[in-house]
Amino acid sequence: MKLKEINRTAIQSWSPAQHHPIYLATGTSAQQLDASFSTNASLEFFELDLADPSLDMKSCGSLSSAHRYHKLVWGPFGMDAQGYPSGVLVAGGENGDVILYDSAKIMAGESDVIIAQSDRHTGPVRALDVNHFQTNLIASGGNESEIYIWDMNNFGSPMTPGPKAQPQEDISCVSWNKQVQHILASASPSGRTSVWDLRKNDLIIKVSDHSNRMHCSGLAWNPEVATQLVLASEDDRMPVIQMWDLRFATSPLKILEHHTRGVLAIAWSLADPELLLSCGKDSRILCWNPNTGEVLYELPTSSQWCFDIQWCPRNPAVLSAAGFDGHIDIYSIMGGSSQAQSQRHISNSFGNMDPFGTGQTLPPLQLPQAATAPATVNPLKKPPKWIRRPVGASFAFGGKLVSLENAKPPQPQQQGSHVVHISQVVTETDFLKRSDQLQATLSSGSFVDFCQEKISAADNEFERTVWSFLKVNFESDVRSRYLELLGYNKEEVALKVTPCIETWLNGSVFVSRVSFDKREESVSVSAKVPPLLWRFFYLIHHFYAGVTFKILIKILSFFSLQDVDGLITQALLTGDFEGAVELCLHDNRMADSIILAIAGGADLLEKTQRKYFNKANSKITKLISAVVMRDWHDILRTCNLQNWREALAAVMTYAQPEEFSSLCDLLGSRLEASEDTQLQSQACLCYICAGNVEKLVSCWSRAQEGQCPLSLQDLVEKVVVLRRAVELTQRSGPAAIGVLLAEKMSQYASLLASQGSLSTAITYLPDNTNQAAVQQLRDRLSRALGHQAAPAQTHRAASQLPSRPAQHGSAPPQPPFSQVRPAMVPQPAAGAPAPTAPSNGWNDPPALTRAPKKKQVPENYTPPAPITAPILTPLGADPHTQPISSGTPQAMVQGHHGNQVQYAGMHQTQLPSQSMNPANPNSNMEGAPGAPTGDAIQPLQSIPAEKITKKPIPDEHLVLKTTFEGLIQKCLTVATDPQTKRKLDDANKRLEALYDKLREQTLSPAIIGGLHNIARTIESRSYTEGLNIHTHIVSNSNFSETSAFMPVLKVVLTQANKLGV
Amino acid sequence: MVSVINTVDTSHEDMIHDAQMDYYGTRLATCSSDRTVKIFDVRNGGQILVADLRGHEGPVWQVAWAHPMFGNILASCSYDRKVIIWKEENGAWDKMYEYNGHESSVNSVCWGPYEFGLILACGSSDGAISLLTFTGDQQWDVKKISNAHTIGCNAVSWAPAVIPGSLIDQPSGQKPNYVKRFVSGGCDNLVKLWKEEDGQWKEDQKLEAHSDWVRDVGWAPSIGLPTSTIASCSQDGRVFIWTCDDPAGNTWTAKLLHKFNDVVWHVSWSITGNILAVSGGDNKVTLWKESMDGQWACISDVSKGQGAVSTITDSQQNEQ
Repeated sequence: MKLKEINRTAIQSWSPAQHHPIYLATGTSAQQLDASFSTNASLEFFELDLADPSLDMKSCGSLSSAHRYHKLVWGPFGMDAQGYPSGVLVAGGENGDVILYDSAKIMAGESDVIIAQSDRHTGPVRALDVNHFQTNLIASGGNESEIYIWDMNNFGSPMTPGPKAQPQEDISCVSWNKQVQHILASASPSGRTSVWDLRKNDLIIKVSDHSNRMHCSGLAWNPEVATQLVLASEDDRMPVIQMWDLRFATSPLKILEHHTRGVLAIAWSLADPELLLSCGKDSRILCWNPNTGEVLYELPTSSQWCFDIQWCPRNPAVLSAAGFDGHIDIYSIMGGSSQAQSQRHISNSFGNMDPFGTGQTLPPLQLPQAATAPATVNPLKKPPKWIRRPVGASFAFGGKLVSLENAKPPQPQQQGSHVVHISQVVTETDFLKRSDQLQATLSSGSFVDFCQEKISAADNEFERTVWSFLKVNFESDVRSRYLELLGYNKEEVALKVTPCIETWLNGSVFVSRVSFDKREESVSVSAKVPPLLWRFFYLIHHFYAGVTFKILIKILSFFSLQDVDGLITQALLTGDFEGAVELCLHDNRMADSIILAIAGGADLLEKTQRKYFNKANSKITKLISAVVMRDWHDILRTCNLQNWREALAAVMTYAQPEEFSSLCDLLGSRLEASEDTQLQSQACLCYICAGNVEKLVSCWSRAQEGQCPLSLQDLVEKVVVLRRAVELTQRSGPAAIGVLLAEKMSQYASLLASQGSLSTAITYLPDNTNQAAVQQLRDRLSRALGHQAAPAQTHRAASQLPSRPAQHGSAPPQPPFSQVRPAMVPQPAAGAPAPTAPSNGWNDPPALTRAPKKKQVPENYTPPAPITAPILTPLGADPHTQPISSGTPQAMVQGHHGNQVQYAGMHQTQLPSQSMNPANPNSNMEGAPGAPTGDAIQPLQSIPAEKITKKPIPDEHLVLKTTFEGLIQKCLTVATDPQTKRKLDDANKRLEALYDKLREQTLSPAIIGGLHNIARTIESRSYTEGLNIHTHIVSNSNFSETSAFMPVLKVVLTQANKLGV
Repeated sequence: MVSVINTVDTSHEDMIHDAQMDYYGTRLATCSSDRTVKIFDVRNGGQILVADLRGHEGPVWQVAWAHPMFGNILASCSYDRKVIIWKEENGAWDKMYEYNGHESSVNSVCWGPYEFGLILACGSSDGAISLLTFTGDQQWDVKKISNAHTIGCNAVSWAPAVIPGSLIDQPSGQKPNYVKRFVSGGCDNLVKLWKEEDGQWKEDQKLEAHSDWVRDVGWAPSIGLPTSTIASCSQDGRVFIWTCDDPAGNTWTAKLLHKFNDVVWHVSWSITGNILAVSGGDNKVTLWKESMDGQWACISDVSKGQGAVSTITDSQQNEQ
């Protein structure tokens, strides 16, 4: 394909390979005259700008010259050293001149462009070549066997390669060997070719076929094989190219015969030694494979002779050909059509030439042009070396890298080996190590150790605290451990404080007693109350039985430092407690009033408390108020955030188990909303206490900027441990995975996948999300792991897909890609399988094999097993999960898609009708093997509870189970609100913890008794009474002993009461 | 850390030019100067020849797997000027479509993101880029960009589908209004970005930095950030990372990743888009990762042939 043309009759030289951009230098040819008969000479530079689609080449500088040229060569000499930034253009003139031009200067339009010049040669300098290894060396050839070697660093004194060859004759070509730098060949029109060794400074071999018909017009060394060269013959009687090997220099190795008239020029591609260009008097330009003698390509040329042809050293597909028709044409040998380019018309190029002023343009030198069709030019028969990509490493899913290895054959005739390596690329080794640790912890369950390690490895205080908080969850007596972490060690405090308090208390009791008795003694207890007050609370906690007001009252008595009044005495004497209390209140004798109120009965006490709190409004009062009225929400809402530790400690101590989480949440949200970044991060601790994974994630990710793998690992570790903790303590049951957590988990999974940890990755994928990206990733992971879904048996489910429940309307579940499936792609319509469904439906959810199981759910639904019994099965455990053979029948394949829809649909529709707990999607997503997420963060190895041979519940306590379960079932039948149903459902599961305790007989008799009492109240449907007993049990028992089931029981009782079953 | 986990002896009779795993990483497609395309099942470290696809009459340069939602489809391009799209039906691989619209070697094929449908970009030495879109019923719609790169296009690579808003919000059945874009590199030393507007492909950007043929271009997968990233490598030994932060996609800045001593043939982004594999003429594969401060560093060096790896030390890196 022709790229460019220049209207010059000129010889040419490309800029050196190192040079960018690419230029072509042209010099007025000494051998030809154009139609102007002008003998003016010039050097010109043109830029090859392939971005410009036109045929024109931009002229970049020219120089009028006294010389016309036989030969131009452009060497890179001086380009590195910046002496000659565009190298040196060497010209051979008609009068024996060798001239060195500074190309950059010519292009810059400067005047002193000649670096050096010599007229040492006696005749025209037709041959020039620049040494490839030492670019300062030039060889030149003239008449009378003159060959000079010029050193551009020392131009004045050229060397000769050896004694002149005899007989003396013109030198038409010189060429440096491409492999051995001191070897030079020269050729003359007579056909004799000499090879010189410059080290020996002598002729080493003469090459001649003795035919006397080889009139050498071209000489070129094989770019790869040092001993081979080609010679071209100009003689029409012998229009051949001979290939010689000096190792066998008696006759040519190969003769390339295809030209019909003499060959005028040849050029051997340095980029591909299998490409040799030749142009001849038959007006053809041929491209040969000189090794085989095959003509690979014939350039579509004009029917003009071409006398000079050159490969572009930098752009291997480009060549230039100078023709006698006054044009230099630039071609690509890569084929293609030149449709965007104008066709050249010979007449145009002569258009304004009228040298003789005759008013007539010259007729073309040639025969009339055949109309040049915009012929599509076939490319080379053989692809050039430079487009044969030998390497290419590409990434694939799961951090795999696929790389090629094309080993060179040991012998040219043999075949090399061609292998592909698949490698695993791991870039985040620390991350993987930690992920492995986490996995190990999950499987061994050694969370305490894990947390402990994290604590000791923590590099900052906050991290340490967070891990300490997390660790607590796996220890006994969670709340007091939390307190310790907040700086309040119960025992220690008690130890320190008790003696002193006791003294005080005794004193105050004494004083009270005295004041009661004698009414004249004044109490003078120092009022260093605030710091002490906290300790009192712990003291209270120490004695904690819920409603022990006695001590509180004693504390309150400290504040009452007033004298005793006679009026009160009188009131008391008359038994008018109310009056006495009023008086005391009126006189701000709060303690007295309270003490009196106690004596006056519960009603009076409550009234008095209220009045007291209304009146008093110190900081402490608030606390006291909270303690007494049990209204922690208020205090958490209003407390000074700087004192969040105290507030949290108070919650630890006093909050009821069922409100504990929400209180911690409340405090956490306040901290998170605060301005102080320090406080913001502390919110994490509150969320940990609350067991609120979702908020922990959001709080944490706000604090941690960036997507660094290790910070993600940091987060996931905490999340996993906390979720585990939440499950263990059953404080709130396994929470649903929220949007943010799901996102983080997917990020984590894809990161693991990118490191090749596919099987681990899939365990972290949240499965209750409808995000297409997550579902895609799951599909990709399970297929990559070889868990291809088995063909589903039916696809009727798709047509049964019910309309989606309203509460899910905002984000309907989508089978991956269903939305984006372009209309024109054959796709299975629901219930109407298209015959051209992709085989091996690519994204079948891995759950399919269990789809039939799921169908039973509606008829025969049993409440999900308790969460301690993961429904997960290890990946690939299902024997049906076999890879589909690629020959899966279409119908079977179709089923995939059907089921896939069903899969999503089932999940959605079951929720409201089956009271499924969305918080525990696994319970009805059991069809998702290999997709354990959320609560599934439990180790896969954890043994399903059903398999444990449990002790039976002692007969005498069996009634508890039947009663509670019965009540829940009753509630379930009545309940209409899905939320309530879920709650009940959840409760049913969580009561398993109670039954376990019953089996193990670890509950104290008091609690057992209380439970039986509750059961009896249930029988009699007096739930309020049951709740009272409940409160009693809770307030009189150890928190850790009852925390697992008492809150649940309360929920059930409350619901039963509400529903009136 | 790079460790060879499977070595597949392809038994190709001539040089392999490309090897690509499918979407799941379970199948490997290779193509060679021996004019064949082979597919291997490489699950569990195996190497079972699944198919030996014959149909090209010249060296096969590249293969590309379509997204599996369209079925098992593989495209191959060859020096014979043909693009062949192969499809597996009932376990047998067959020609699904043969495209003969180029006048010279077809050097590169790349499937668009699945969101765009089944669309293939082909870059040829005739300078043109063809876009083949499956329209159903065995029909392919062909659009051609002529003179995309004078004397040849060497590589094409699609931009990830930029999701306008959330996918979920799209009413079902309605295709989101994606802007289709891809990048190409060619023998004119240029990297060009193309954009479809009103069904017509238009040159969107022309990125100039290379001083020789652009051998390969790779548009990085989206990692959820608004930044677009493109890697280009060239005969000049340079690898550039082009980034564009502005939503209009008009301002691209080039950063030199490295200047190698030899031609760089191929660049490939990891699926997560944070690692770039660079394959050079010396048959060396290096892996590059951007550090937090935006500098690209070589993180490993897959040695010739062995697949073994020497982690580049600091001193080595400084030398480079």
